[in-house]
Amino acid sequence: MSLSTTDARAFPLQPARGRRNRPNTGVGSRPGFLAYGLLVATLLGFAYPLWWSFVVASGTNATRGETLPLIPGGNFWANAAEAMDAIPFWLALWNSFVVSSIITISVVLFSTLAGYAFAKLRFRGRDGLMIFVIATMAIPTQLGIIPLFILMRQFGWTGELGAVIVPSLVTAFGVFFMRQYLVEVIPDELIEAARVDGANQFRTFLNVALPAARPAMAILGLFTFMAAWTDYLWPLIVLNPTNPTLQTALSQLQSGYYINYSIVLAGAVLATIPLLLLFIAAGKQLISGIMQGAVKG
Amino acid sequence: MTTFGTMGFEELYEQYESENPNITIEANNIDTGGNARTDTFTKLAAGSGLSDVVAIEEGWLGSIMEVSDQFSDLRDFDMEERQGDWLDWKVEQVTDPDGRIIGYGTDIGPAGLCYNAPAFQAAGLPTDRAAVAELLGGDDASWERFFEIGRQYKQATGKAWYDHNGFVWNSMVNQLEEGYYTADGELNVEDNAELQERFGWIADASADGLSAAQTAWDWNGGQAFTDQTFATFVCPGWMLGVVQGQLEAGGGGPETGWDFADVFPGGSVNWGGSWLTVPTTSEHPEEAAALASWLTQPEQQLAAFEAAGAFPSTTEAQEELAANPTPNPVFNDAPIGEILVDRSQGVVAQFKGPDDSLIQENVFGPPLQKLERGEATEEQAWQEALTLLNDLVG
Amino acid sequence: MTSTIKAADAASAGDAAGREIVRPKLTFGQRLSWFDVKASPYAYISPFFLLFGLLGLFPLVYTFVVSLHEWELLQGQGDFIGLENFATTLQDRFFWNSIFNTLSIFVLSTVPQITMAVILAAILDHNLKGKTFWRMSVLLPYVVTPVAVALIFSNIFQEQSGLANNLLGVFGIEPIEWKRETWASHVAIATMVNWRWTGYNALILLAAMQAVPRDLHESAAIDGAGGIRRFFSITIPSIRPTLIFVIITATIGGLQIFAEPRLFDVSTAGGVGGSDRQFQTTVLYLWEMAFFRQDFGRASAIAWLLFLLIVGIGLINFLISKQIASAEGRALNKKTARMLAKREGVSA
Repeated sequence: MSLSTTDARAFPLQPARGRRNRPNTGVGSRPGFLAYGLLVATLLGFAYPLWWSFVVASGTNATRGETLPLIPGGNFWANAAEAMDAIPFWLALWNSFVVSSIITISVVLFSTLAGYAFAKLRFRGRDGLMIFVIATMAIPTQLGIIPLFILMRQFGWTGELGAVIVPSLVTAFGVFFMRQYLVEVIPDELIEAARVDGANQFRTFLNVALPAARPAMAILGLFTFMAAWTDYLWPLIVLNPTNPTLQTALSQLQSGYYINYSIVLAGAVLATIPLLLLFIAAGKQLISGIMQGAVKG
Repeated sequence: MTTFGTMGFEELYEQYESENPNITIEANNIDTGGNARTDTFTKLAAGSGLSDVVAIEEGWLGSIMEVSDQFSDLRDFDMEERQGDWLDWKVEQVTDPDGRIIGYGTDIGPAGLCYNAPAFQAAGLPTDRAAVAELLGGDDASWERFFEIGRQYKQATGKAWYDHNGFVWNSMVNQLEEGYYTADGELNVEDNAELQERFGWIADASADGLSAAQTAWDWNGGQAFTDQTFATFVCPGWMLGVVQGQLEAGGGGPETGWDFADVFPGGSVNWGGSWLTVPTTSEHPEEAAALASWLTQPEQQLAAFEAAGAFPSTTEAQEELAANPTPNPVFNDAPIGEILVDRSQGVVAQFKGPDDSLIQENVFGPPLQKLERGEATEEQAWQEALTLLNDLVG
Repeated sequence: MTSTIKAADAASAGDAAGREIVRPKLTFGQRLSWFDVKASPYAYISPFFLLFGLLGLFPLVYTFVVSLHEWELLQGQGDFIGLENFATTLQDRFFWNSIFNTLSIFVLSTVPQITMAVILAAILDHNLKGKTFWRMSVLLPYVVTPVAVALIFSNIFQEQSGLANNLLGVFGIEPIEWKRETWASHVAIATMVNWRWTGYNALILLAAMQAVPRDLHESAAIDGAGGIRRFFSITIPSIRPTLIFVIITATIGGLQIFAEPRLFDVSTAGGVGGSDRQFQTTVLYLWEMAFFRQDFGRASAIAWLLFLLIVGIGLINFLISKQIASAEGRALNKKTARMLAKREGVSA
């Protein structure tokens, strides 16, 4: 089940087939000015709202009224400090980190285990269960928030991070994703060989499947982390403003008896920094994850 | 400790913590009363997550009283001794049928009129606060008179008179002896001639362009307060803190020329007010009640008034305000405490039913907005309110 | 779940131990091994199925149970009332209003988003300088979380002195009431979705385009087909499966929009989607019903109806796309065959 990760857009359709046999030469080899022009326009359209947020966040409420402000002012840290003062920023950051990490580890682990079983082991009911997994992938399970809320209340977990983590511990998509990947990359002979060597099932999993699965695990992990990090609806319902995730804390900045837009946007910029750092550090992997994962055949 | 809006407690927490080293206060302030309502109910339902002390607002007190057994009876603590500190009705509102008292009163909502002196001047109206009170009819100030002056203002400047319909409407409704509910808890909207008459006044005022049709709680990031988008603003005591915050957010200050007059159209009114409660889920009810009690002592109420304009609900604090008027620099040195004491004479709070805040915001909000935007006639808007009432409250 | 992992561990540990000690007694070892082979697949998949059943499927079924009762947030379970909550919901104009808004925002966000993503992908498919730079820059909005996107854009679309209206003012266009007018608010919310997802989808489509055999393009070029013609007759048909995937995922996501409308205008009417609910989506209405109006019974009915709608639209989507895909596929194959045949003829 996943509250945070049912947004299937967070995932590519199929795992990489591992082979990219042809270097990308591009269609028309020489893109014209038009292509670059469009790209630059797109870049501006994509980047400017973020830059604008930073400019307003570093200025005063009056900066917002300017037509096309480009140059940041000197108030960013002052506004950011006020934003951090208005919400428990560091606690929220830590909570988001804990929640997303545990969900990621759990999803990747259980998906790999089950995906491996579906891909390479033979057992009664395998095909039926796999069809079940595929069918449930399309089900928007987050519509179950009301019973989940009732359930969490009965467990006495409301307000605790556990209430956010537990419903997202597994995803049908993760299983499907790992299965598709592992079915391709592990030759059956390898498993046979391990068995002939006397390795039991679990050791075969550890020694053969796990190393082979690593690239797919990384991609699945990256996207699970992103999805858990961005989730809003469910944490909003089960957590308190005193113990929020970054998203629920951030949303509190917006409404108020008085709104200082510079402070709100300083909060938004601040909250974007962690993922921005991740993006700068792992952007290439993210892109190749999306692209490899996309489709081939 | 969960509060909302501007209750003026921040400095008091520090004081209390330093006086009681074994107590740590984790303050948690939710932006608006509406969001605090949602939060409180969700946590009530969750059976956990509520703070040890939770602030409750008048608008949704009605639905809290329906589940009053989820809050501690404060008579188990010091309520018996303190009961006499407050105005009688402030205690009555939080007394349930079993006689349990669940809240320490914080503020009440007597209201005066905030006005922008430079805007008045531009229209050739008097700017002195006594003269403004006189202009609007003094003790006999009526809504008709208020709108009439508004029309003059509009004619002279071409600008709107007040910020938006919703607040004016709230004031009018709160002035009635019985509002959306009768005193015995029956819905009281349909065929309520008093309500309908007032709705008509607002419709006329809207048609004449007196409303600036602003978005409440936003006011264009406070700028509408700084650029004379409107000239008057209905101001219960706690709203003064809001205005001050809006001015700051909008990059303005005392120089914008806001002032506070000892007058209110239609006479005295109580709009809003809060209590501090101790949910039964609290693990430290003793300490929680002690803190809540301390925060609502006359002395602390005065401090909260200083900080946020929350008008005290204890008689002692009110007497103190009347005796020692202090000028407020944001409102052209108006003695706001003294004025509010004056405005609180004869104020009695109205009974609030379970869906009061919902009716205010989601039933009358949309049609009032249509009026000021010229999208509906009075008849259409009133019908829409009734339809919404039927859909939402049933 | 920990117990199942331990079970797997125990099975393997026991197996290993057994193997070493009882090697001479083959039958026992074989039996262990047999058990290992038979049991471990179930040990591997059981954590998933247990958790998924408890936390994914059970709540969905239980939602239905709740929807058959009077059920209040504070008071809890009330009387069994059959399908009354469904009947009420189906006659509830706010429910239909939310469905309309959801579909409208969905169309406004899906169509331009995918069109733009295709164009962007086509440009990125060229032999560009600074390939990685361009790819990273189209993905930039993806790292901004929906809540932050909503905060940023609700400011940009602020009616008085927001960036959008300021820019329109430069062209002498009157300010638009983004938060009040139905269409304007839908456009604004769709813009948030489009901004965040276009680049992401472009990269997925780009990957698909790169998988199109280059000889197809080359032969078409030799045939004298221009870039645009090749784009429509070769690229688009070839990436159709990916396109279907992108459309379906956009549908599932698009029908469940919550953060954007919730945070677009929090100052009005308790943040339930505008003064007139002009941009209240169905998930937002569900939230309002459950936690604002505190009626769990009706909220559950809404959840189920939305669930059926999503599954329904998903199916329709799938069937239509599949049909088009197969029709196009046949056409494409013929064309390809023809082209390849020609080309062989030329070289021979």
